[in-house]
Amino acid sequence: MNPRPQPLGRVLDAHLHILDRQVLDRDGVPVTTADDLELEGIEMGVPIDPEAPPPFVSAILTGPDLATRIFGGRPPVSRRMVIPWRLVTEVGTTIRLGVSGDALDATWVERWVGDHIIGRIPGGRHDPD
Amino acid sequence: MKRIFGVALGVLTAIGGFVDIGDLVTNAVVGSRFGLGLAWVVLVGVVGICVYAQMSGRVAAVSGRATFEIIRERLGPRAGLANLAASFLINLLTVTAEIGGVALALQLATSVDPRLWVPVAAFAVWIVIWRVRFELLENVTGLLGLTLIVFAVALFLLSPDWGSLAGQALQPGAPADEAATTYWFFAIALFGAAMTPYEVFFFSSGAIEERWTEDDLAKSRLNVFVGFPLGGILSIAIAGCAAVVLLPASIDVTSLSQVVLPVAEAGGKVALSFAIVGILAATFGAALETTLSSGYTLAQYFGWSWGKFRRPAKAARFHLAMIICVLVAVAILSTGVDPIVITEYSVVFSAVALPLTYLPILIIANDREYMGDQVNGRGMNFIGSVYLVIIIAAAVAAIPLLIVTGAGA
Repeated sequence: MNPRPQPLGRVLDAHLHILDRQVLDRDGVPVTTADDLELEGIEMGVPIDPEAPPPFVSAILTGPDLATRIFGGRPPVSRRMVIPWRLVTEVGTTIRLGVSGDALDATWVERWVGDHIIGRIPGGRHDPD
Repeated sequence: MKRIFGVALGVLTAIGGFVDIGDLVTNAVVGSRFGLGLAWVVLVGVVGICVYAQMSGRVAAVSGRATFEIIRERLGPRAGLANLAASFLINLLTVTAEIGGVALALQLATSVDPRLWVPVAAFAVWIVIWRVRFELLENVTGLLGLTLIVFAVALFLLSPDWGSLAGQALQPGAPADEAATTYWFFAIALFGAAMTPYEVFFFSSGAIEERWTEDDLAKSRLNVFVGFPLGGILSIAIAGCAAVVLLPASIDVTSLSQVVLPVAEAGGKVALSFAIVGILAATFGAALETTLSSGYTLAQYFGWSWGKFRRPAKAARFHLAMIICVLVAVAILSTGVDPIVITEYSVVFSAVALPLTYLPILIIANDREYMGDQVNGRGMNFIGSVYLVIIIAAAVAAIPLLIVTGAGA
């Protein structure tokens, strides 16, 4: 066994510091909660090659991944709602993104409800008086 | 002047939250059966809700995170979901009770069947949430709710035997004709009415709606320590009125007209109209708070965009969830079920659900990642732990006592 390399930066525990934290967009608008993470460089059920580069977090998953995290199983890839990790700018008590939430595919449900239901009720697109 | 308005959030949560349909009904029922023999529970409840709301207000102001975001983050998705389900369903029961309460108050004023008022009340609740600014909504219902002081005035006008009232309050215990289990059942109901979980969802989310920062903490403290004891005094006055008028006549409280009967006897029509306005404002305010709380809890668990400070279309799922909750409440009430009965159950289940939200807040209030150097001091942790024991004891005992006493029959 090699001794574990001492990390140089801040150590983040995925369970403790990332999962189930609120994700906010560039303007502080809630986008989702970090329901699950996608790891790349590691295959489920395949023994890990000791020479392989360490896996990395490639995306925050949301939507159907919340249900599978509670009840087990995996959602089909086509139904995944993914926020690429490269958009993340800050991890604190919340996870901040560097883009506007409206630009993300993962917020389509919010946009759909806003455009087709809430936005059609009179006053739905105005600031409260 | 601004500071005076700042206390309004506390006053609203006191009047519309501390005194809501649950307190009105439970205090009158308890007063008509035990006199002031359970007044001590109101005191315990007032101190408890002060501790609890102060902590959650502080957590919200310092960390910027509302109660259910924290519950989800600490408990994870599974236990968080179980917690959400319990809290949300009990809150929905409370929404139903409050909208029913608004309808009953309107019935008192107009003698029109409450079932006809239910859709009107529900629409009014929705339109206010849809269009009215948060600050306006809390100030108007808060100020109108202050007319409930008429219960305290009525108690003086009835010129009761203060000695015997004090005697009831200072010698707690079941009277000879009531079983001890019934006494403790109503103690828990009264505790649940005083410490309803939605008050905390509303208080912590309201702090974020009003964009509190650490500087607003003094305001928060003032809100809590002025607002809630005021609500407690009104609660005891309601019980006192019932103790003076209804207890000797052995009148059972089964409707709002019995709750206001002592006020009418003491002050006639003028006092009665004040009481009706007060009840209307308190139940309407609480209907707004509970409906908002149902949206807050769901949105915060799932991480949706929420808040009244946004346009509805920018917090679409939050608003859709609240519309559905109001419709469900209307559906329940249109079956003709008595809102008073729903109220009596909702306060007991509130006591059952309390540890679910209390414990995570207590833990986060000690977490330096969220709170920096604003973590709980020793005194706060001591009293917080004492209340944790009380809350858990009440939650564990509630359902067995509910069954044994047949809901206090």
